[in-house]
Amino acid sequence: MKEVLRKLSETYGPSGHEYRIREIIKEEISGFVDEIREDTMGNLIAVKRASRGKAEAKVMVAAHMDEIGLIVTHIDDNGFIRFSNIGGVSPFISIGQRVIFSNGAIGTVYHEPIEDISKLKLENMYIDIGAQDKESAMKIVKIGDAAGFHRPLEWVGERGIGKSMDNRAGCAVAVETIKKVGRTPNDVYFVFTSQEEVGLRGARTAAYGIAPDVGIAVDVTSTGDTPEAKTMAVKLGGGTAIKVRDASVICNPLVRERLIEIAEANGIPYQLEILERGGTDAGSIHLTREGIPSGVISVPCRYIHSPSEMIDYYDMVNSIELLTKALQSPFKMFAGS
Amino acid sequence: MELRRRDFMDFKEVLKHLSEAGGVSGQEGPVRYIASDALGKYADDVRVDTFGNIVALKRATIQRTNESPRVMLAAHYDEIGLIVTKIEERGFLRFSTVGGVDPRTLPGQEVVVQGREPFVGIIGAKPPHVQSPGESKNVIKLEELFIDIGLSEDEAKKFIKVGDLVNFKRDFVELSDNMVAGKSMDDRAGLVVILKALKELSMLNHQVDVYAVATVQEEVGVRGATVSTYGITPDIGIAIDVTHGHMEGVSKRDTVQMGGGSAISIGPHVHPKLFQSFVDISREVNIPYQIEASPTPAGTDAFAIQITREGVASALISIPLRYMHTSVEVASMDDIKEAGRLIAAFIARIDQQYVEELKCF
Repeated sequence: MKEVLRKLSETYGPSGHEYRIREIIKEEISGFVDEIREDTMGNLIAVKRASRGKAEAKVMVAAHMDEIGLIVTHIDDNGFIRFSNIGGVSPFISIGQRVIFSNGAIGTVYHEPIEDISKLKLENMYIDIGAQDKESAMKIVKIGDAAGFHRPLEWVGERGIGKSMDNRAGCAVAVETIKKVGRTPNDVYFVFTSQEEVGLRGARTAAYGIAPDVGIAVDVTSTGDTPEAKTMAVKLGGGTAIKVRDASVICNPLVRERLIEIAEANGIPYQLEILERGGTDAGSIHLTREGIPSGVISVPCRYIHSPSEMIDYYDMVNSIELLTKALQSPFKMFAGS
Repeated sequence: MELRRRDFMDFKEVLKHLSEAGGVSGQEGPVRYIASDALGKYADDVRVDTFGNIVALKRATIQRTNESPRVMLAAHYDEIGLIVTKIEERGFLRFSTVGGVDPRTLPGQEVVVQGREPFVGIIGAKPPHVQSPGESKNVIKLEELFIDIGLSEDEAKKFIKVGDLVNFKRDFVELSDNMVAGKSMDDRAGLVVILKALKELSMLNHQVDVYAVATVQEEVGVRGATVSTYGITPDIGIAIDVTHGHMEGVSKRDTVQMGGGSAISIGPHVHPKLFQSFVDISREVNIPYQIEASPTPAGTDAFAIQITREGVASALISIPLRYMHTSVEVASMDDIKEAGRLIAAFIARIDQQYVEELKCF
């Protein structure tokens, strides 16, 4: 699983440019699923049919593939690249970062001289790709091209530090679950979604098309265990997190309770999560059509939306365990409701 | 769901029960029983969807076509509140807000923590005697507040967990001049408007199927209305919510008159023909009304209704309310009843042709 996570984390894939992530996942899960398809939004949908006859329920599992990034808005006469954000990018975290474009071009992000650094905004920043002038820059990069952070994944003990743990950690959990779960009583639609970071978009159309009985999103969540952190009862290494609510969703109490029961019955360490800011794919899924009962399994993660997001290996293992056991139980209580 | 039908003396008594029950967004259960009972009295059918929305159907009494046009009435029955985020040493509960809670209104409140069983708690404040100099000049931040339920940490952890919801505890009281005060008038007052409308309709004939919906999760992003409208697919959707009534210290430009009748909204999320019909009918049957401009669509079920599926002609009727999002919201029973009469009068007057005409803007 560490190798899958490394590949997923280090690969380029800002919102709308998830194709390389799709390819990695397809390769990983081929042979383990009954159908694989893509849709017009760029979602990758892999279906595992129920073990026999009629499925107890149709379950959609969603993990978003996209990462935050930068988009080129202007190239000046000296070849410096002005940009806007794709998703939640902090100007402070971006200073001095290396970024990579889809064609492999690398640049670094810096800012104009500024008296009061607390007033730094993305519009005062630029990407330097080492070009001599506008003309040579435009041979490498054009308006609308997207860049992502460029960072290798490092393991420090059992903790991984890297870019795009949000949400390649969730993708890795879903991929490993596919390999492990076997036949279940449910038809399971594993959806690797696009464009979550720009408004939970891929999950919205995928959920409409699939019309599942239950939705389970797999994503990262913040922690409250760093110095002077805002109160939050989630710790890195404290187990998988079962979401109660965030800004996008109040998880369906029946789904949430089911996940808690399964974790307790199987001795899987878990934490209850309330994320005050931010949302996840369940936010779209649960509002689809007449409403779809939805829950979320989260991987605790420090320093979200930085190139040094940190996760704990065992939190991922426990997340895989919980998702696997959950899918292996019949979700009949929700079917046709 | 089994309905435990209950009879209420009058609409004020219904509102008292609805107001005092706890129903923070995402856990509206206790209010659901009362609301279902009350709606069931006037409806042909009552069901609860997967989200917790209560959908009461009152069928057309005159049927001219195979399928009668559908009118959806929506009032949300969730309320703002708090959510437990951490259980501290010594059993104090840290919390965050659900919906638009003003932290300044919290110290001194009584609350009910919906744990494994309900626990009464209070939100304390540091006494003046032990404050450092100048401390009283600062606004207390949410992070500094906690709920005290009197239990030790070990005991608290047995009964309470992270994610448990907390509602305010407040008795419903009657003020003078038919005004009432309490928590969650936003939008249980709207629910009583719907009940009044259904009662009026039981004495009238109507050509449309009326779907009276008590929606959930409005305070966290009009979510219940989003999914219930999809399911019902109405031709017309009318949201009934609250708006700011005149109060000291607030400009008259931003408020409507308490006791001046319901406010009929006009703005981008209201179909102009529906707006005009409400104004015309108010005049015709002599129901007091006020007009309110609502330039932005956010914040009420009307917006969710309007953009569902292929689009739904929507209107917004609001009850004047003082001190919104505190536990002492004030409304006038007269406004509530008149709004119910207005909606019933509207429903009794519309037919298939009216619905068709809404489609040519």
